Amino acid sequence: MSAILPPADRLWYKHPIDRVEWTWIAIALLWCIILFVMMTGWHVWGKQNLSTETYRTTTAQFMEKTQAMVDKYTVRTETEENIPVVAPPPGSDVYLLARLWSFWPILELEKDKTYRLHLTAIDYNHGLSLQPANINIQMVPGFEHVVTVTPNESGTYSLVCNEYCGLGHHRMVSRLYVK
Amino acid sequence: MPTSDHDELNDINAPIPWMQKLLDSPFILLTLGVMIPMIVYNLWGVIEILLLPVTQ
Repeated sequence: MSAILPPADRLWYKHPIDRVEWTWIAIALLWCIILFVMMTGWHVWGKQNLSTETYRTTTAQFMEKTQAMVDKYTVRTETEENIPVVAPPPGSDVYLLARLWSFWPILELEKDKTYRLHLTAIDYNHGLSLQPANINIQMVPGFEHVVTVTPNESGTYSLVCNEYCGLGHHRMVSRLYVK
Repeated sequence: MPTSDHDELNDINAPIPWMQKLLDSPFILLTLGVMIPMIVYNLWGVIEILLLPVTQ
């Protein structure tokens, strides 16, 4: 039987499957299984984007928590907009919100300490791209993503909105300090 | 040389199996290939959103 010519028999479906075809079916199936295992394995062994926990939230609730953190742990302000720089204690819950067209506040974290980073947007859909670590997470209104992060290199990281959010999208950048 | 197998596979009175009809219809296969993932992934997404817990 040829692969490009019509089948020779009228009832080709009843034709016994050739050994070569079974072999290729088995190879394809095995490869599917390998890829499936790799998908989950990559979360453990690969440089995979961080897995998030997701919850429902409201703008008011999230802003209240963020404001409480800012009131308690602000160490200085930066930029022309006087965005507070917040240094929360290691192990704590850290809040970062996105809005047209800024991230608020600026976070200052400690190297090798673990934080629970809570993310949401309070108006439209935004994206959080942390560079050069290349961690990318959606910031969605009404939903809260929680990422458990342990910064392992000190420095100043860039935050970039990577989800088009209107006229000021290109200006929507911020920074994150790791000391 | 005609064999009994060959005769059986070319019996013009035998009904064509439904799987053969399906596999011989490219447009039905295309429709199924688009519709099944679309329906399953949309349902999966809706179920995920409905089951999300409320933040503490």
